Amino acid sequence: MPDEILLNEAALAVWQTVKERGPIELGEVAKLTGIDQAQVSAAATEASQRGFFEIEQRDREDLVKSQEADQLLAAGLPEVRAAKHLASIGGSLPMQDFIAWANGAAIAPNEVLKWGATRQWIEKAKSDRGMKIALTELGKRALENSVPDVDILILSADQSPIPFDALDLTDEARQRIRGLLAKRPELAKFKARTERTLSLTESGAKAFQSVRKVIERNSLTPEDLESGAWREIKLRPYDVKLAAKDVYPAKVHPLRKIIEQTRRAFLEMGFAEVVSPMVESAFWNFDALFQPQDHPAREMQDTFYMRHPATAELPPANVTDPVRLTHENGWETGSEGWGYTWSPERSKQVVLRTHTTAATIRALAANPNPPGKFFCVGWTYRNETISFKHLPVFHQVDGIIIDEEANLASLMGTLQEFYSKMGFGRVKFKPAFYPYTEPSVDVVVYMESRGKWIEMGGAGIFRPEVTLPLGCKFPVLAWGLGIERLAMIRFGVSDIRELYGTSLNELEKVPLCR
Amino acid sequence: MPIVNIDLAWLNRLLGKPYETAVLQESLEQIGCDVEDVVDIERSRCPQCGSLVEHPLGQDEVKACTLCGFESETPFKRVGSQQVMRLDLLADRPDLFDVGGLARALRGTLGIESGLPKYDVKPSGLTVTVDKSTTDKSSYRPYIACAVMTLPQVDETSLVAIMKLQENLHWGVGRDRKLASIGVYDLSTVSGNITYRTMDPDKDPFVPLGMPGKKMTGRQILESHPKGMAYAELLADLKRYPVLIDSKNQVLSMPPIINSEETKVKQGTTRVFIDVTGISQAAVTKSLDTLVCSLAEIGGKIETVTIKDADGKQRTTPDLTPRTKQIDVTEAKRWLGLPLDENSLSAALRKMRFDVSAKQGGAAGNTQPLAVSFPAYRTDIRHMVDLFEDVAIGFGYANIEPRLVRSMTVGTPRPEEVTSDRVRQVLVGLGFSEIMSLPLTTEDQQYERLRQQTPEHYPQVSNPKLKAYNVVRTHLMGGLFEALRENRRRPMPQRYFEIDNVTDLDAKAITGASEERRVALVEIGRESGYAAARSTVDALLRELGWKPDYAPITNPTFVDGRAATFTVSGKTVGILGEVHPEVLSNFGLTYPVALAELTLQRIF
Repeated sequence: MPDEILLNEAALAVWQTVKERGPIELGEVAKLTGIDQAQVSAAATEASQRGFFEIEQRDREDLVKSQEADQLLAAGLPEVRAAKHLASIGGSLPMQDFIAWANGAAIAPNEVLKWGATRQWIEKAKSDRGMKIALTELGKRALENSVPDVDILILSADQSPIPFDALDLTDEARQRIRGLLAKRPELAKFKARTERTLSLTESGAKAFQSVRKVIERNSLTPEDLESGAWREIKLRPYDVKLAAKDVYPAKVHPLRKIIEQTRRAFLEMGFAEVVSPMVESAFWNFDALFQPQDHPAREMQDTFYMRHPATAELPPANVTDPVRLTHENGWETGSEGWGYTWSPERSKQVVLRTHTTAATIRALAANPNPPGKFFCVGWTYRNETISFKHLPVFHQVDGIIIDEEANLASLMGTLQEFYSKMGFGRVKFKPAFYPYTEPSVDVVVYMESRGKWIEMGGAGIFRPEVTLPLGCKFPVLAWGLGIERLAMIRFGVSDIRELYGTSLNELEKVPLCR
Repeated sequence: MPIVNIDLAWLNRLLGKPYETAVLQESLEQIGCDVEDVVDIERSRCPQCGSLVEHPLGQDEVKACTLCGFESETPFKRVGSQQVMRLDLLADRPDLFDVGGLARALRGTLGIESGLPKYDVKPSGLTVTVDKSTTDKSSYRPYIACAVMTLPQVDETSLVAIMKLQENLHWGVGRDRKLASIGVYDLSTVSGNITYRTMDPDKDPFVPLGMPGKKMTGRQILESHPKGMAYAELLADLKRYPVLIDSKNQVLSMPPIINSEETKVKQGTTRVFIDVTGISQAAVTKSLDTLVCSLAEIGGKIETVTIKDADGKQRTTPDLTPRTKQIDVTEAKRWLGLPLDENSLSAALRKMRFDVSAKQGGAAGNTQPLAVSFPAYRTDIRHMVDLFEDVAIGFGYANIEPRLVRSMTVGTPRPEEVTSDRVRQVLVGLGFSEIMSLPLTTEDQQYERLRQQTPEHYPQVSNPKLKAYNVVRTHLMGGLFEALRENRRRPMPQRYFEIDNVTDLDAKAITGASEERRVALVEIGRESGYAAARSTVDALLRELGWKPDYAPITNPTFVDGRAATFTVSGKTVGILGEVHPEVLSNFGLTYPVALAELTLQRIF
């Protein structure tokens, strides 16, 4: 048994009409079935592609009359009116009489002469009494309707457009009509079209036996699915290449992804996450890092000092004393110290922490014995105005390793591992100078996407003036990284403010994979 | 960070042969100097003082003199260009601020020369007498160190170089002339010995640099001379101003502001007097030592000056005796993790222009400490670890084989991060988008626009550059309302959340402020009322395994009768409700808003 042929209502009507009336012109099918021509065409094309229909194509020419044609013809074309007049008075008139008549009839005489000559109906001739206007033989015949001519065609046509090439006309008549219309486009125009004649092929005729009607729809309703009506329903196929409506998922913030990636990198490397207060004492933010109390970084123009709370409690003397003495004279660290009198008051000042090293240094003080690995990600504050380059608040990440094997070589190895987890496979190290590490290192990473090396973050080994007062007798590796800088590089953003824009338009455009 | 332009042709002359720029660049990078680029730089001449002024990069003309401060309506006359290497200054290494210092270091890294640079010093015979008033509180600038140098005849190029070095030392060591400032004078214009004293701001006028023929008092200079106005702040608290004068009462300078016109260094000068004055002994010594050693590298001969201090003691400056520090090879190996022995360690240090001498009498193979001599200008060396750094740099960072520590430690996240991550999953699942906003805010944003009374005290910054931004946020609602405002033209409904720490004043907390992790969420849309907030909070707490009890509250941010607090196990955790229409209007919103904020964990 041949496969069932599923047809929607429209296609079925087309098949039926073609079977009964074919070969039949496509437009005719549309008219008979009352189905829109495009739909008929679609059904016919599909049937033809499957070999069921034959579509014969022929180029056709239609005569499409203009909108004013009826009006012009009803009023009478000048040469027609003149020809009729001439016929009624015996076929000719002296020129001046003709002009007098034309003026009386509100017809331009030269129009009559021009079109009369063009149609070869009316001619000028010499007579004994001067020029005269006369009706020709052709003109006479035209008036008797025995010459097919354009106005007659139009007037007698019961349809528009008029299928010009289907009319029974001599070649000569066709020529005349073409010639005339070329000069009189206001009456009608020719229009080319392709006529498609449909007929059932042999396999189409056979297939008709197994045609089954389906209902075609855009979507199914729950009722369709429940009742089983879906079996009779064909869902219209879509153009799968067309664009669909844009939708965006709710997402975590782009910067959050970077922070999470950073945290994951540290956690995977065996680091414990630590925190410290954002509202911090100058002691932990500066003094514990051997930053002298007159250091420029501690000045009001760089650091936010709190009005409320204004002072913090210092840790007990067994913590502060070694720090104080180290600042003053180097204490037992082998250093010369800074050589000034350390002020506990300056140390009690409350600042907004200027780096997350405040967190790792607290972790070091609490866990001075190896092995230990700690990291902190968090907000840090600098007394800046807001610009494309700077924000008064941004994120940093800091990590430290307290270990018997901590040294410059293991610092570099750790950094290499860390930055590789952050997506930078190629890493170089350069000497750098940071106040509380010695030696200090700058990490330079290779950015594939830009094809260049860029400076990424600082690192080093804490000075003994930092570690010994906190009770740690081993080298401590430390490094930090600005999260926003990393994010700007990753997202190709050149204005740091964009990272904190809350416009959903911008947020939703950053893909999760970035 | 300032950038210094190093004349490449001159640098190569000092190195004894021309090196490829790439070689120099790599060599400099090895010692930590960043080469920005190599460019041709234009120079113009100051019509007032006659010195050459380098054009800032990308600028076709200059109208102001960096030396005397003269400013002109019309551009200075161009005198041509030179090829320079642009270097980022390393604040910790002023000995690398100029062509001479760089040449000295490069000779080490390029293998041209090694070990301690030697500087011959002879006495100049000049004496500087210090008046006691320089140590008075009302005219305090007590420290001074001086030198005399004989230079190969000063030409335009070396004049610019000397002035640039002086300027950069002011930045790098003098903290913009506050701690120390340098004066350089043509010694041939100075008569006899010199006195460092103080003067009445309104008496003893002199002609300042850049104002030929115009005598000005100290106060007038601070009020109307370009350099005076720029640095007036440094003398603001003083009743008398420091001044250097010669035996004929001619003013050499009024530190730290300006030199006199008569004593200025010019082309053809061969002998200069240098003074450094300041309020920090260390900065004064470091400035002078660095300056004279760098000038010696470009052909200068150093001569000492006798200083008669106010207390009657005499001393001689500069004192360039090399300093020494011991280095322990075992400790260096431990600190750096490098395969070092005495020889390789010594070689690395010599490359960095230090000398190393073995202690006598140590048994072979024994790791006795070695004595390292380093130049006076390397004042950054305060501890043995500072020498370790030079060992590492001399060894070459690129030659160090990275490795990992072997000890086992366990990665442990903070508990509030674990909770936050869970919250994030729930809220994103419910269609809430995360925003992040800055934790510094304004009173208006934090309180007033939310119809909250501004409390008498709150976490407040005393000195913000952006005056209004003096509030450390105590809740997360402000950022969310900003997000709603920003997106008010977009289709509704919209949902946002933010997770972050907030602080509040708390006398019992370790630094006087508590800190806790919170989440806040908003929904805006036709249906966004109390019920919407409640559904979301219920869902969130269900996923966290928390069982809330709700109680009505009155809170001006919310509509009366449509706000609640909730407790979990008896502890107040958060607040939720339908936002008051006046708050909506304050943020330009035209749809109802459901809002909730809750504490996930107290941290401090």
